[in-house]
Amino acid sequence: MDKPFILHMLTTAKNLSPFDVNMALDAGWVSAVPYINVEPSEVRGLVQDAIFSRSPKGLKRTAIFIGGRETKQAMDMLKLAKNAMVPPFEVSVFADPSGAFTTAAGMVAIVEKALIEKFDTTLEGKNILALGGTGPVGQAAAVIAAKAGANVRIIGRQLDKAERIAELCSEEFGEGDITITAGADADKGDYIKSTDIVFATGAAGIQLLSPEHIASAPQLKVAADVNAVPPSGIAGVDAFDNCKPIEGSPSGAVGIGALAIGNVKYQAQNRLLRKMLEADNPVYLNFEHAFEVARDFVRDNA
Amino acid sequence: MEKCTFLNFLPKFFPHCVSKSTAHNEKRSILHMLDPMPNNSPFDINMAVDAGFDVLMPYSNVKLESVHALTQDAIFSRGPGGEKKTAMFIGGRDIGLAIDMLNTSKQAMVPPFEIAVMADPSGAFTTAAALVACVEKELREKHNKSLKESKALVFGGTGPVGLATAVIAAQQGAQTTLIDHLSLDAAQDAAKEYGRRFKVELHAAVAGSDEEKAEIISDADIIFCTAKAGIQVLSTAVLQHAKQLKVAGDVNAVPPAGIEGIDVNDFGKALKGLPDSQNTVGIGALAVGSVKYKLQHTLLKSMLKSDKPLFLDFRDAFNEAQALFATAEES
Repeated sequence: MDKPFILHMLTTAKNLSPFDVNMALDAGWVSAVPYINVEPSEVRGLVQDAIFSRSPKGLKRTAIFIGGRETKQAMDMLKLAKNAMVPPFEVSVFADPSGAFTTAAGMVAIVEKALIEKFDTTLEGKNILALGGTGPVGQAAAVIAAKAGANVRIIGRQLDKAERIAELCSEEFGEGDITITAGADADKGDYIKSTDIVFATGAAGIQLLSPEHIASAPQLKVAADVNAVPPSGIAGVDAFDNCKPIEGSPSGAVGIGALAIGNVKYQAQNRLLRKMLEADNPVYLNFEHAFEVARDFVRDNA
Repeated sequence: MEKCTFLNFLPKFFPHCVSKSTAHNEKRSILHMLDPMPNNSPFDINMAVDAGFDVLMPYSNVKLESVHALTQDAIFSRGPGGEKKTAMFIGGRDIGLAIDMLNTSKQAMVPPFEIAVMADPSGAFTTAAALVACVEKELREKHNKSLKESKALVFGGTGPVGLATAVIAAQQGAQTTLIDHLSLDAAQDAAKEYGRRFKVELHAAVAGSDEEKAEIISDADIIFCTAKAGIQVLSTAVLQHAKQLKVAGDVNAVPPAGIEGIDVNDFGKALKGLPDSQNTVGIGALAVGSVKYKLQHTLLKSMLKSDKPLFLDFRDAFNEAQALFATAEES
């Protein structure tokens, strides 16, 4: 008889996200077991405990999920987990801190689709402003878009923090292959004039882009907002919008709201959780893989 | 009565619901997993699922004082008939605390409301039981000797597996010494505390350098290596001083092995690199692990099957291990 599917769910926070628990069980994991307040230094021990209690065959039905709230910490834990494997005793690992990787992947995938369908172009060479971009979703979205060839500027209220995050994204997550720049929120009125795409990933309920900003953006094509709590992060973009023209945009830009992004995020997370169930060899999944499956989903459901 | 009407209704319209609702009447098995640590061990989680428990409930940061109430909460919410469907597992890293928790939960039972409880902190009880039973088997088969006639050293002796190994070996009559790599005090404290608790005599020593190790192993019959994973404790060069050494067992599965010359899958193979005259055989971590796996699996399963509540610790694990080898020999 085949062993039941077990997902060991690690988080540095004091609880798992119920979102992730539901997602895991719905993807087909039979047991979803929480490990809370996990320190990165404990990852190795936990992983080795998980791998040595099942045969390599049983381990194909065992995996690890890494939650938490911090991008860098989650990426470090993913690396630590991978390094703790003792082949053939190894399992798949998927990091998605605060759901940020799949949310960012969902957002960038829909934005890309909007560019193709409405403007007959791609992310390559586009200027992106990542507003409120210092958080986990902003970071992951910036890296995904930059890897696809866009010029991304992370905007934060504190310039030094934005600069620090931009460097982290370029060097650590982009492994030096990409260059992400930074800017202060106070200067976004200038930046918007040469911006093609806006990601709004700030805190819920804060407007990051005003109607005046929209009116002064002559080459704006797509503006995406992950905030589902009113007021929306981008003036004129509703949570339900999916490629709807933004009122007052001189360049005919379209808006993408939180629920449209949420749908793709859901699909991406579901696919990656199922990928671990079905994979013949262990997989180690982060925002890049999330973007791959989000792209697939968006393409197949055009 | 309304319920009956509703149920009579069901088959007509929702035939699939009826079979489902019958299935729901059969209670699912629950394992309440108590752990004094912030988290359970993923090892135990995998084992519990694979033994057939339907639902695992982790309880973390559990204090000894809470065990009485947790036990009674577990027993009074299901009828006495449900005991086979409900059980408790005690984990952690401290084997003394685990035994205290096991005893507390046993005292909290209110017959006929009682459930089975198993303690296996860090898997130490089943790992130690497997390790000692494997070594005992090789000692008998390859050297025609018993634990009673042997001098045993436990490297990494102050950790959970080391302590449980030392206690089991001493209970079987071996003259047993706990060895710490840093502190004689730590070894002596542990030997005193666990010796008193389990009514055995344990000796203590420190051996950090190769010179100290070479000296201490010179008259040992048995070496148990239960030190941290991924660290080589005894090199071939050091092992050449162990002129009396008959069997060496290692529980470290992460390379490099704790004892050089033992492959993880070895079971009674001569140690590589030692002269044949030394006639030392080794038992590797995966060989011990496969016995440990069987023990933990059997004990967990026995909680689902037994007619009366069980209270399982390292003694049961060791008995099970001996029985396992006895059956293997008979067949």
